[in-house]
Amino acid sequence: MAEVLLQRKFQVRGLDFDKAGDTSAEVKAILTDVGLDPDVVLRAGVISFEAEMNVVMYAVRATLILTLTEEALSIVVDDEGPGIPDIEMAMQEGYSTASDEMREMGFGYGMGLPNIKKNSDEFVLESQIGRGTRLCSMIELDSR
Amino acid sequence: MIDRTHGFRIEHGDCRGCLSCMRICPTRAIRVRAGKAEYTPDRCIDCGICLSACPSNAIVATTWSMTDPSRYKFKVAVPSPVLFGQFPAGIAPSHIVDGLLTLGFDAVWDYGVETGLICGAIKDYVKGWKGPFPLISIDCPVVVRLVQVAYPRMVDQLVGVQPPREIAGREVKRRYSRELGLSIDEIAAIYITPCQAKTISILEPAEEAESNLDGAMGITEVYNTIVARANLPGAEPGFAARTPSVRNSSFLRWSLGDGLSRILSGHRYLHVTGLSNVTQVFDDIEKGRLRNVEFIEAHSCWSGCTGGNLTVANVYVTLSKLTSLINALPEMDPETRREVERRYPSESFALERPIRPRPVRGSGTTLRERVEMIHRAEAILERLPGLNCGLCGAPTCRELAKDVGMGDASQKDCVFYSKDRLKKLREMHLRPAE
Ligand SMILES: Nc1ncnc2c1ncn2[C@@H]1O[C@H](COP(=O)(O)OP(=O)(O)O)[C@@H](O)[C@H]1O
Ligand code: SF4
Ligand SMILES: [Mg+2]
Repeated sequence: MAEVLLQRKFQVRGLDFDKAGDTSAEVKAILTDVGLDPDVVLRAGVISFEAEMNVVMYAVRATLILTLTEEALSIVVDDEGPGIPDIEMAMQEGYSTASDEMREMGFGYGMGLPNIKKNSDEFVLESQIGRGTRLCSMIELDSR
Repeated sequence: MIDRTHGFRIEHGDCRGCLSCMRICPTRAIRVRAGKAEYTPDRCIDCGICLSACPSNAIVATTWSMTDPSRYKFKVAVPSPVLFGQFPAGIAPSHIVDGLLTLGFDAVWDYGVETGLICGAIKDYVKGWKGPFPLISIDCPVVVRLVQVAYPRMVDQLVGVQPPREIAGREVKRRYSRELGLSIDEIAAIYITPCQAKTISILEPAEEAESNLDGAMGITEVYNTIVARANLPGAEPGFAARTPSVRNSSFLRWSLGDGLSRILSGHRYLHVTGLSNVTQVFDDIEKGRLRNVEFIEAHSCWSGCTGGNLTVANVYVTLSKLTSLINALPEMDPETRREVERRYPSESFALERPIRPRPVRGSGTTLRERVEMIHRAEAILERLPGLNCGLCGAPTCRELAKDVGMGDASQKDCVFYSKDRLKKLREMHLRPAE
């Protein structure tokens, strides 16, 4: 296990549309401060943003943990919520249970989870119905 | 020596160390450590706000003229459309052209055709864009530099199409070298600019390519000559033998900050002006709150380029003058349209190089070292009072903490941690009681 250089923990609340996006903005700001490649920051931004939005839209509350080592960065989002009954289905592009209002706001095109996966080098999604969902995503850093 | 990367100089003799510029700088580039303001060139975006904030006029715009005019055999003025809105009603575009010729230019280039070309190129760029939205206009160099410095994640969203003035510079050289049998280096294309930021964008383009323009003169520098010349007897309006002088309104509209609104009307388009508003909109983009917007035309000055720091006339008068000129002209005259259609297929308008983020402070160090700097800064911040008084010479406690983390400052710069600092400030800023 590589040595942890930096770790940050954030709380995200369900239905808090007012603050939605704040956590991922902070993630991006920290990673920029650390001087990571903008491309990596962009990918981490997509991952944290989509995961954060899923919590806001579908879950009750969650913690997002950002961890940085010399080799990789990981984003783990652990939520309390309804869980995902069919993960395979949820991972399909275009699949969404978002309400019309959410779509109005520009969300709910069913691309969140697929985009998280696309931007991750490793990706694990687990869920327990009625309990919650845990999303782990990892991006490898080029050694320089 | 003139700093070519930024258009400002702080005259230490005049600087009283009052902190006004430090407090107002939007990218927190200024520090006032030893009683004198200094700025970090990496963070400066050339917005010029410090210039107007300084009560001692200690911050001056470095003007730049052609280094060696004799090198050029043929000098062409390429005026920003803003210039045509700067003069009283009696002074027509043809007078303005004439005034520029009096100044020693051999020709004046109205870039209406290039504006038409770029409108087309941007429209096609938006249509073909596969990356993340919204796209952001690059006409205002302050906006470009703001993205490079403060929103480096968004650099790819800057539209990769050159501004019309650059295409004009290229065409001026191409055209006159052919017509006059001169080499391209013997022809100077000089932009008549509304602001310092555009001068800098010519001297040091953000994308690190070579500009097609050879230099810039502020509207402030040409204004008086144009007025004087127009008031001479015999200078009648309509003395327009030396056209071209402004044939269509899309060229003039470009100066108002929403020059692209018409051609992008089918897209979800926002027109944003004023640096603090631009920052707010960019923050919203970062937070994913502008997902449905496709294009943002952004300018640092709240009235578009009519409010540039090298303009002369009152902004409202300029806007009204431009609006009446715009209303009197066709959006695109047939001659311009023919030229646009002829040139469009055979020219490239893409930026020669992509715009990259500015290197951040502390680059060149390892990831581990940068993380350590952040940890150090956080530890210091815990100990600072959080009053953001600025007496340490940094605009906020957080900035001082960062500076200490980087090794550029010391915790003892905080007046709560050092009596010395207070004593020095007292000596510097309090007049002894009689
Ligand atoms: N944290 C979560 N808790 C419960 N359901 C979720 C969660 N994340 C995603 N889902 C379900 O997976 C679906 C697909 O998610 P996603 O790909 O992000 O698309 P979208 O959010 O646009 O619907 C969602 O519509 C929702 O039903
Ligand atoms: S908006 Fe202002 S700063 Fe930006 S290019 Fe125009 S005049 Fe210059
Ligand atoms: Mg989603």
